[in-house]
Amino acid sequence: MIAAILTSGLALGAVYALMGVVYNVMFAASRVMSFTTGQLGMLGGVLGAAFIGVLGLPTLLGFTLTLVCCALVGVVTELVAVRPVLHKLEQHLYVLSTLALALMIQQVAAIEWGTEPRPFPHLFGIGGGGATDEKFWLPVLACAATIGGLELLFRRTLVGRAFLAIAEDNFAARALGLPERNLRIASYALAGAIGGLAGFSSGQLLLAFFANGAMLNFYGFVPVALGGLGSNRGAVASGLALGVVQQAANFTLGGVFASVAVFVIFILTLLAAPQGLFGVAQQRRV
Amino acid sequence: MITRRTLALGSTGLAAASLASVRPTLADNEPIRIGWLAALTGPSSAPAIGFDRGVHQAVDTINGQGGVNGRKIELVVRDTQGDPTKAVNAVQEMISRAQVHAIWGPTNSGEALATTPIMARFKMPDVHPCFVDSLIDPARFPTAFRMAPSNSQIDEAVSDYGINKLKLKKFAVIGDTTGYGTTTVNSSSASFGKRGAEVVYKGTIDATTPDVTPDMLRMRDAGAQAIVVWTVSTGLISRLMNTRANMGWDVPFLGHPAMGSGEVGKLIAKPANWDKTYILGFKNCSYGPDGKLPQKVQAFVDSVQGKIDFADTTLWWVLAGVDAIDLIAGAVRETGSTESSKIVDYWNTLHDYPGLFATYTFSKDQHNGMPQSDLVMSEANSQKQGAYKLAPGYG
Repeated sequence: MIAAILTSGLALGAVYALMGVVYNVMFAASRVMSFTTGQLGMLGGVLGAAFIGVLGLPTLLGFTLTLVCCALVGVVTELVAVRPVLHKLEQHLYVLSTLALALMIQQVAAIEWGTEPRPFPHLFGIGGGGATDEKFWLPVLACAATIGGLELLFRRTLVGRAFLAIAEDNFAARALGLPERNLRIASYALAGAIGGLAGFSSGQLLLAFFANGAMLNFYGFVPVALGGLGSNRGAVASGLALGVVQQAANFTLGGVFASVAVFVIFILTLLAAPQGLFGVAQQRRV
Repeated sequence: MITRRTLALGSTGLAAASLASVRPTLADNEPIRIGWLAALTGPSSAPAIGFDRGVHQAVDTINGQGGVNGRKIELVVRDTQGDPTKAVNAVQEMISRAQVHAIWGPTNSGEALATTPIMARFKMPDVHPCFVDSLIDPARFPTAFRMAPSNSQIDEAVSDYGINKLKLKKFAVIGDTTGYGTTTVNSSSASFGKRGAEVVYKGTIDATTPDVTPDMLRMRDAGAQAIVVWTVSTGLISRLMNTRANMGWDVPFLGHPAMGSGEVGKLIAKPANWDKTYILGFKNCSYGPDGKLPQKVQAFVDSVQGKIDFADTTLWWVLAGVDAIDLIAGAVRETGSTESSKIVDYWNTLHDYPGLFATYTFSKDQHNGMPQSDLVMSEANSQKQGAYKLAPGYG
């Protein structure tokens, strides 16, 4: 039973962690929590199934096209739902604008793709439902690759350092001559690609289903809150823990009690550490 | 001598007489207006599209033969999109403006719960195929008639098959977390309990749950000999089937017809995962051991080859659409009237009316027209031209 809990728990946790990273990447560049995050994950699954399963494109080409399309959706999010309301951040208008765009994406997917879940193609032909099944290790691999890639980007490249500068202090970065707007667009494209990767890698687990977005939005937010807003390491650790706890609760308690158990832990953790496990308490001038 | 007064009186009398003679002629030739509340678009449109094919086939056939007592049938179709609010508006418009004589539909219970009281208030004859038990109540809704099974009948059919045909005693009853899933799990469990079987596991599963292994393990540990499934989510159904295969557990699934949907066939890991799955079906829409439909239904299917596509729908939807129109047309034919009270009175006397979909019996106190004996179980993976093979156990 422990092996089954770890196998499916880590796979699900990796998907939640990636969603948390998407939230963080968008937030770092714009201070906006975008509700299109879950839809990017949904699109990763649906577009992957469409390109490879329906159109019959080679896996690598289908994968690349999926990431490109999701990156474009990320850019559209910035242009349509974020930029127009950035000057009124304190009024939280982005909640409305990103939610509206998320609903539009979901409806278009429902109309074009259909309202029934559809199969996601086997990429390597390793199935069987056990621990070696690709549907379980692909999300974990995608999560590890993403974290490794982001670490390299942020620590070893000039562009990555520019991202960090924008996230740290937007005004100071602009004063130094950094192209803030372009970097924000690039951040949203990067977030879109990571969301697409999450959906693509979990396609066999979650199926290509237009309604996955809402679930990913919801469970993707938990690692962000638990790990601390802006902390990718926190999101990954919390996401993986969330997946394992959720599956453990599923095995031991089952049904609705599993969700209740997860959120009891979530609330207790936030009561103990309001800034999140890996977050830093914000200082306020008084 | 013909005076001016006599001439005037005579002319008036002639005019009155001619008017009197014209009025019945107009009534006799007036079309029979049948309202068809169809959810032709939207997420729950699949059944209505199937029903619609049968409806148009029946109307074309009757009108092609000269109509009913010389009166043509005129369909008044309104797309409700599965939305109860739109269905209510459509019913009110059909009754007040289009002045229909009878209504067929709506075809899902959510809409029918909203429209049935309105139709009862306006004494509008209505036949519908919705399953929720409370939709039929001759005291409250004397003009509403059901020509499909009620949820109670479905529960009875499934529990009867599990206990008496498969000879099993311990069942797990599961559904999704929707209102339908939750209530049906309870009513189905009660039906098994009433027949002396043991419900060893009862629970609901979120339809988007990616891994149902924990639930399946609990069912196996509880000693379930069969799993009764109540959901329309093809994703959940296929996950249950794939997990059963991965566990190497040879347990049968019984329950909702959605388990026989073609979408399930696309989602399962291999075709064998679909075996040992038995869904609710209908006697007239099932292939017997000889691979044939009942004679009358087979004749109908043969007669509409090329006109009706059965490949993307189910046979019972089409047949029920035909029967609905025939029931209304039959009432007008036999009573010679489109008056509401006469149509309802006629339906109340129907006994063993031989429809294509079922053999209907109504009375003043019983408006559930489908007999329990018309409900059977079918093999989920045997769909061919919208119909299924009878499940093992039927002679």
